[in-house]
Amino acid sequence: MAGKINPNLHLDIAGYGGKDVDLCMNCGTCTTICPLSEDSGGGFPRRVIRLIQTGRESKLVESLDPWLCYYCGDCTTNCPRRANPAETMMAARRYLTARYDWTGLAGLFYKSALAEIFAILAVGLFVTLLFVSLHGPVILQRVELNTFAPVHWVEFGDWIMAAVLSFFLLTNSLRMAWWILGRKKMLRISPLLYIRQIPVFFEHLFTQKRWRECGSEPGGIRWLKHLLLVSGYLSMLTLVLILLRWFQTDKIYPFYYPQRLWGYYATIAILYPTADFMISRWRRKEPIHLFSAASDWIFLVMLFLTALTGIMVNIFRVNGLPMETYVIYVIHLSIAVPMLVVEVPFGKWSHIMYRPLAIYLAGVKRAALQAAGKSTGQTAAAVAA
Amino acid sequence: MIANANTQRHVDVLIIGGGISGLQAALDLGDQGYRVMVVERRPSIGGRMISLSKVFPTLDCASCITTPKMSAAAHHENIELLTYTEVDSITPGPDGHTVVITRKPTYVNTNKCIGCRMCEYACDTEYPDPFEEGLGSVRAVSVAFTNAIPQKALLNPDYCLACGLCLRACPTDAIEFDQQPRQETIGADAIIIASGFQLNALTVKPQYGAENSRNIISPLALERLLAPHGPYGRVLRPSDGKIPGSIAFVQCAGSRDQTIGVPYCSRVCCMYAIKQAMLLSGALPTADITIYYMDIRAFGKGHEQFYQNARAMGINFIRGKVSRIDPADHDDLLVHVELTEEPENFLRKQRHDLVVLAQGMIPQWNPSEVSPVRIGTDGFVATPDPASPCSTDIPGIFVAGAAAGPKDIADSIAEAGAAAMEAGAYLYRHHVADKRPPTVALDVALSPVGARSG
Repeated sequence: MAGKINPNLHLDIAGYGGKDVDLCMNCGTCTTICPLSEDSGGGFPRRVIRLIQTGRESKLVESLDPWLCYYCGDCTTNCPRRANPAETMMAARRYLTARYDWTGLAGLFYKSALAEIFAILAVGLFVTLLFVSLHGPVILQRVELNTFAPVHWVEFGDWIMAAVLSFFLLTNSLRMAWWILGRKKMLRISPLLYIRQIPVFFEHLFTQKRWRECGSEPGGIRWLKHLLLVSGYLSMLTLVLILLRWFQTDKIYPFYYPQRLWGYYATIAILYPTADFMISRWRRKEPIHLFSAASDWIFLVMLFLTALTGIMVNIFRVNGLPMETYVIYVIHLSIAVPMLVVEVPFGKWSHIMYRPLAIYLAGVKRAALQAAGKSTGQTAAAVAA
Repeated sequence: MIANANTQRHVDVLIIGGGISGLQAALDLGDQGYRVMVVERRPSIGGRMISLSKVFPTLDCASCITTPKMSAAAHHENIELLTYTEVDSITPGPDGHTVVITRKPTYVNTNKCIGCRMCEYACDTEYPDPFEEGLGSVRAVSVAFTNAIPQKALLNPDYCLACGLCLRACPTDAIEFDQQPRQETIGADAIIIASGFQLNALTVKPQYGAENSRNIISPLALERLLAPHGPYGRVLRPSDGKIPGSIAFVQCAGSRDQTIGVPYCSRVCCMYAIKQAMLLSGALPTADITIYYMDIRAFGKGHEQFYQNARAMGINFIRGKVSRIDPADHDDLLVHVELTEEPENFLRKQRHDLVVLAQGMIPQWNPSEVSPVRIGTDGFVATPDPASPCSTDIPGIFVAGAAAGPKDIADSIAEAGAAAMEAGAYLYRHHVADKRPPTVALDVALSPVGARSG
């Protein structure tokens, strides 16, 4: 595999949405205009486009560069050939997600919107049927959600799902790390380096701070919206995975109690950015939203609907509407579960793992290269100060 | 007569543009006995070429080629030159075309003016010299430039204070402050459009920041800096008069770029940049000269050898399109570029004293605004018939030189000859069909038209 040329690589990338790779004449405008490329030393987007044009597949799967791009779109705006380098980088990320994924599902979902929708419907139907056949007594005098769907059972299901999804995401991440650091066995990396860089991973997981330097136009506003969104769904995950017994109660607490406030915050933090992103994609307001693949839409719509149905459960519950609460609860889970199952390991959502991991691996690689006394060249990527 | 009833004058061929293409076509037609009128927008004929220093790939002196042609055209008995004249409209007709022109006022009676320049010496007011690309200055009343033809003074009313110094200095009383634009109607059996090119603005790509730095210059300005009779007499950079120690040529700065609507290649920039780099290394032997390029397109006769010579001379060729130019201290400039052929350390911010932007060639004039002549999507005059490359879509209207598309001097001259030939053949068919003598029978024995139709 090493050094093998895949002459159809540009067609593969076209299948993931990078349709204009062939237009590029390698002038380098994109690389010099990119606000992040210089720090990273990777020479993207042009050198990534070049890898695709010349079919160097093994080099591409070993490349961290696509994950270091946050799609400000400056390269696409400035490209003299309208070769759309930003979208090529996006397609490269989809391609890499598919390559890391050993099940092949990620590739299938990215290339076929129909397959993705079918998978979501199938999982959603499974969840609905699960509730229809296994739900507890339906009490209509008052809202007793924990009787209809006992919290310990739901929590049990959550944990099973979390375990399965984490298994896929982690094994895929290990493949990514192996390709980038291990396979060539050229670098001797001490385990200490891996440990020392761990804070970097979490720092970037929670802040995506490199994004702030990205782009000349929106000036960090998009980063802020995205940060809000991340805080929203990290809140949701915490509430659902760790604090569900505290969060899903039949007792109606006063408005100002923390589980309600936190839930409302999470709802707003998901609804507002997703709605904003959908409007922007619809109107093609920002460069990042000029080109929307089906997978982009599906992700946003599912996220939005999850939060919307979630808050409706709360509204019906607080207003004492038992049947409505139970029905919307089933709908809520029939949307949230397939979204997580499809998107977390096999879809767009996986970037929450791959992006900080890429910066982490770049840091490890750079430190190893420094330790080996080699120059920090094109392979080393900067870790933000 | 072919001419319409209301036409004041009639010629065989009217040529729009007195640059090298227009003059070559005029000379080729005039030598065949056709009566030719050349209409030139600027105060002198000679076009872009007369302002160049040397030509590639031979490094011949540009004015040594242009001036004799200008002079020959000016003294040709079959050629009439109308300078400082605009074309208002062209109406094609079965019996020849009707062209309305406007003679712009020069405020100097050209019949009286003897080109002594007494007015110019007397004048107290100066403005940036358009011939020197704004680098030098010129008096408000002056002859356009040293070797201008005609050698007649021209008064610029935008800068003239009407103080009367020139009026008193002129020995022939040629200054006429009360001149008005004068419209004329010309009948012409054939028309050759040789209106040439202009460069798109230095500021067309805001990323290059040309509006903020006087040291980002046009290649035409560098031609003037390199010319022996240029504005400074030597190569100095405009902002502070420093001798530039490091000069950058940014290629494709206004062409091959869809973001500014010029997707085509301007064809001449690679070669003139190489030529200017060579001339600069002669004028400034210690200067570092760098050409940032995407591809070197050296396709013409002798061009590749010329390029290889430049490399051998030590001129730096760096493959990469400059994406941005930032100002640095001391009026210097930082050129952002990816060295696309380097495996490491390829992102550079290179410091230069002077930057030359290879601006794109765009048409000087759009004939479709005043006539039914069609232009192509690139804005240049369309030549729909590949078997007749100088013909527009209107019979009897031809095109030559850079009006039809970006072209170098050698190609323009060749195409001007071809346009003259096509026009001549058209006129011959026309005259024979009409069974009429040519408009002018100078020397019937020598004139092929006269000989054949007589």
